[in-house]
Amino acid sequence: MKGNFLKDKDVCIVAYAETKIGRRTGRTAYEFASEVAAELYRKTKLGPPDIDGLGFTVPLSEAGNAFWSNYCSDYLGITPRWLQTSDLGGASVTGNIARAAMAIQSGWCETVMLIGADAPSTNWRAYYGGYRNEFWDPVGIQGPPGAFGLLMNRYMAQHELDFTGLGALIVAQREGAVVNKNAYESFRKKITIDDYLNSRQVSSPLRLLDSVMFCDGGNGVVMMKTARARRLGLKRVYPIAYSEITNFNGAEQTPDITITGHSVVGPDVLKMAKMKPRDIDMFHPYDDFLIAVMLKLEQIGFCKPGQGSQFLRDTDIGPKGVLPINTGGGQICCGQPGLAGGGINVVEAVRQLMGEAGRRQVPNARNAMVTGIGVIPYGRSWGASSAMILAN
Amino acid sequence: MADPRPRPLPRPTPTTQPFWDGAKKKQLMLQYDPVARRYQFWPRQNSVRTGKRNLQWKKVSGRGTLYSYTLTHVATAGFEDRVPYPIGLVELDEGVRIIANLVNVAPEDIEIGMKLRVAWEKLSDDINYFAFEPAAKKR
Repeated sequence: MKGNFLKDKDVCIVAYAETKIGRRTGRTAYEFASEVAAELYRKTKLGPPDIDGLGFTVPLSEAGNAFWSNYCSDYLGITPRWLQTSDLGGASVTGNIARAAMAIQSGWCETVMLIGADAPSTNWRAYYGGYRNEFWDPVGIQGPPGAFGLLMNRYMAQHELDFTGLGALIVAQREGAVVNKNAYESFRKKITIDDYLNSRQVSSPLRLLDSVMFCDGGNGVVMMKTARARRLGLKRVYPIAYSEITNFNGAEQTPDITITGHSVVGPDVLKMAKMKPRDIDMFHPYDDFLIAVMLKLEQIGFCKPGQGSQFLRDTDIGPKGVLPINTGGGQICCGQPGLAGGGINVVEAVRQLMGEAGRRQVPNARNAMVTGIGVIPYGRSWGASSAMILAN
Repeated sequence: MADPRPRPLPRPTPTTQPFWDGAKKKQLMLQYDPVARRYQFWPRQNSVRTGKRNLQWKKVSGRGTLYSYTLTHVATAGFEDRVPYPIGLVELDEGVRIIANLVNVAPEDIEIGMKLRVAWEKLSDDINYFAFEPAAKKR
């Protein structure tokens, strides 16, 4: 990526919202979007006529609806002059923040509401096409857990993988979920490394507790120019660097599948922000699978390649630790609200940077790195990778 | 146990039909890019390297090496009676990787790096589906 369009801090996030995560709630993506919007209005003292930019993630529960964002605009009573729907999977929320920043900078729109809302545990409507019918489904592979099983096993052929390090990660994230009232209620209890190690095999060497569980929920943010936010007396968190890459290694037939797009976008954002990994106060990585967090630690440069599990085993990653990670529990311990999932990590970073994280507040946090992961391609690692640095 | 669900049956398209025509004769067919002089998988209309729509179908050896594998404990449709069943990411000698069932091998005998050869499972009168088995195994 060339240049850093976020370096001037001229655009900011002024509010965040998040619903309670639930499972088989019987609710729709529209209902979660409405709940998110109402909370954002309450915090900003704005209303539907003030919102001239609107961005969404594609809900799995509305995946058959080619007009989701139009229908949801109608539901909310918003008439956007800039409308964006991102299908970068779990990278959509960070991607939307970057796209909204550009739309605001260019003068296309002034006040953007970004919403992720999904209810896949109530209503599963995903359809993929492409190679899936002929070359994936008939093999009997377990979707993302199958792909990550292949990835994990290959990693183990190339490096030492200490499962107690992955266990330490979920133990720490569970402690975040315990003090996060929005986390899925069944996940709001502590577990031990042995609980992780003893959880049943799903797609060996991947265990049940290695992966997220689909839930229902929503989240969102409001963005505007910094000068206007100041006039309105609103809180401000700034995106200061962003990079994304999609279809990583797409033309390669035999790439090293343990190397991901985060080996590109992680160093990218650090360079843009003129920072080193040690300058990052906290890390809020997209966590569909524990090993994805571990690979990002290695490939962004928080630890050496092949040392991720040892780093997690030996490092305090709690809110008062050396490198706080997913302090609210992340998706693995809050539940994944479908393709609104990327917002769990983003909202927690913004909450921390606004100093509103309560018992799990990271002291004196000035910045955070957030990441996104989207889509499982055929026989590679993951397709879309994003990284963003936020600062207050 | 719930009623057995059928294993999904591929629905060939005009682009993929030569692959399935080969499979019916137990021949593994791959697309070859004559400009880049490289194979690619899965079947498409275009070269992923040059963008040209000049791919040629070639019969290949069906031999490869196990790049990675996973043992699936939660069956998808049609695999209920095989649990746990191994799925491999197989690197063919021609330089592409294929995700496939590993057959005629006990899970404890599977090793990354082992030599494999293609095997075929008959799914219907029209569809033979590819799988891989240890190359050393006698038929």
